[in-house]
Amino acid sequence: MNGVHDMGGMHGFGPVVPERDEPVFHAAWERRAFSLTLAMGAWGRWNLDMSRFALEQMPPAAYLGSGYYEKWLFRLEKLLVEHGFVTREEIERRVADLRAERRAEAPPDPAKEAQ
Amino acid sequence: MPGLLQAADVWKRVVWNRRAARLDDPVAPRFEPGDRVVTRNVHPLGHTRLPRYVRGRQGVVDRDHGVFIFPDTHALGLGKKPQHVYSVRFAARELWGPAAPANDAVYVDLWDDYLDPA
Repeated sequence: MNGVHDMGGMHGFGPVVPERDEPVFHAAWERRAFSLTLAMGAWGRWNLDMSRFALEQMPPAAYLGSGYYEKWLFRLEKLLVEHGFVTREEIERRVADLRAERRAEAPPDPAKEAQ
Repeated sequence: MPGLLQAADVWKRVVWNRRAARLDDPVAPRFEPGDRVVTRNVHPLGHTRLPRYVRGRQGVVDRDHGVFIFPDTHALGLGKKPQHVYSVRFAARELWGPAAPANDAVYVDLWDDYLDPA
């Protein structure tokens, strides 16, 4: 597809600046997104080309605004939903639960307490 | 339990997936090194490894990589359609116009189904 991923020849993105001593993962969730993607790929429900095509279907604005492993996570969720491993609702419910847990664990905000 | 993936098997499966793009099928190449080719001006709605910037352009086959899965059909679950992949050399000026340096070139790995004789 003539998607935003086909960037050869496009202008305006600036130089590629390699990070010095770049770590393999910049956050723990990236490591998990990577390992989950490989583990679920090992089920054999989709092939590498299907997986690439799934990534290409990320909405263009989100594609350009996302980091490498954010794209991997989008792809993984799309493939998991399409192949019936989870539903979109299950993912959204889990995200909502995690948000609620995080809010409950967060220390009280002194600025708000003073009001 | 059938279908249960063991942690110890993951790596094996991943490596197998990586190597599986190359095939042993006895498919005859349509081109050989030195052949002049022109890329097809196609705009498939599915997956393709033919970038827009080399569509409808003339190049020269630099070398034959061998037989591989055709990504365009494989991505849609329509089979492997084994065929040769070539490194095709495009002059920078063919792709980017007369302002590009005269001696620069871009090499793109392209499948038989992307190419016609020039």
